[in-house]
Amino acid sequence: MTERLKEIIEALIFISQDPLTEDRIKGVVEDAPVEDIRKALEELVADYDARNQGIRIIPIGGGYMFATRQDHDPWVRRLLQIERKNKLSPASLETLCTVAYNPNVTQAEISALRGVDSSGTLKTLLDKKLIKIIGRKKAPGNPLIYRTSEKFLQYFGLNSIEDLPSEEEIAKILQEEKSSES
Amino acid sequence: MNAIEISEGYQVKLEIFEGPLDLLLFLIRKKKIDIHDIPIAAITRDYLEYLDRKEQINLDREAEFLFVSALLIYIKSQMLLPREKDLAEEEDPRRVLVNRLLEYQKVKAACSLLREKEDDQLQQWKRNFLPPLPGEEDLDFTEVSLFDLAESFFMIMKRKAAQDFRVIKGKDISLEDKMKEIVTVLEKDGPIDFLEYFERQEFLEEALVSFFCLLELIKSRTVVAVQDDLFKTIKVWLRKDTRRTHPHD
Repeated sequence: MTERLKEIIEALIFISQDPLTEDRIKGVVEDAPVEDIRKALEELVADYDARNQGIRIIPIGGGYMFATRQDHDPWVRRLLQIERKNKLSPASLETLCTVAYNPNVTQAEISALRGVDSSGTLKTLLDKKLIKIIGRKKAPGNPLIYRTSEKFLQYFGLNSIEDLPSEEEIAKILQEEKSSES
Repeated sequence: MNAIEISEGYQVKLEIFEGPLDLLLFLIRKKKIDIHDIPIAAITRDYLEYLDRKEQINLDREAEFLFVSALLIYIKSQMLLPREKDLAEEEDPRRVLVNRLLEYQKVKAACSLLREKEDDQLQQWKRNFLPPLPGEEDLDFTEVSLFDLAESFFMIMKRKAAQDFRVIKGKDISLEDKMKEIVTVLEKDGPIDFLEYFERQEFLEEALVSFFCLLELIKSRTVVAVQDDLFKTIKVWLRKDTRRTHPHD
């Protein structure tokens, strides 16, 4: 069964356009125990990595997806006739970052943290579906509260919100900046 | 003066800073100042120098910069006040600002890390990059405005007129029938190309009626008119949720 299971899961990931989660897989191959599914997934990821092929399976956004390898980017772009992909503007990235590290944050709080009015960038991020509104705060004016979406994780290749750069990583960056100055 | 040296060495515009905190951090770094012990007078002078370089103040954008200059001056004034005894560390008037700067500095650092991740991801192509087939909620295209539609329509009409478009009277086309026809076509054959559809119409009258129908269908949210990109053809999709209903039922 295990070998078959691996093949089946591979096929399922192949036809999914969004990250395929363990739960979705479980829903399809009902009789397989979760541990087997998990093991098969791990093996699939490792197999592809070991084979050094044009595509691999990556854990992303809480699920699994096929992706091309980074070094093939120039060829893929040539095929699709895309010069480059648009990156987020510095303002968008900064706002997004603020939301990511402060879930359930309001527009006023974001603006205060950045020292800049952020309502415009928030709207752009909402349009891009990188953040979502999850409700209203019980405070004067009942302001909307924001948090990052599943698409945010996918966009940055994170598997879950815990994969955000940690305090230590941030401290390391700050330390490097400091030492590069002096 | 130090600030002038900076201004000569770097032509820095206010626009490149994401905000006043960004500018402050930049100045602090340039002067190699300890963020926990900022010489307020010196930094305020530099800061104001940057603002001065602007010939005009755009209140919308620079109000935030002005706010922080006021804050800096306020802090300095607080520090100048004579005190009976030295302030405890928590009472340092600079503290609020320092905390904000530290917090902001962290956001900036996290941003640079996320930017790297973004770079990595943009180079790994996934299948969901391909435009999704029309599911009603994730239509990624721009919905066109009435103006775009009308413009395209008149373009066709002009072309038709040039082809000696003859109007044959005597065939009445009702809006309702035409609307049903359009919906049927959409249901059967999927999205239609807006221009092509009108080109196919035999009579001017019919084309006109179809156009009104289309507007009505868009208004009743039965269909949606989208454009992949500016100047590309306009396509008409049936909205999925209304597949079984007709506009006037």
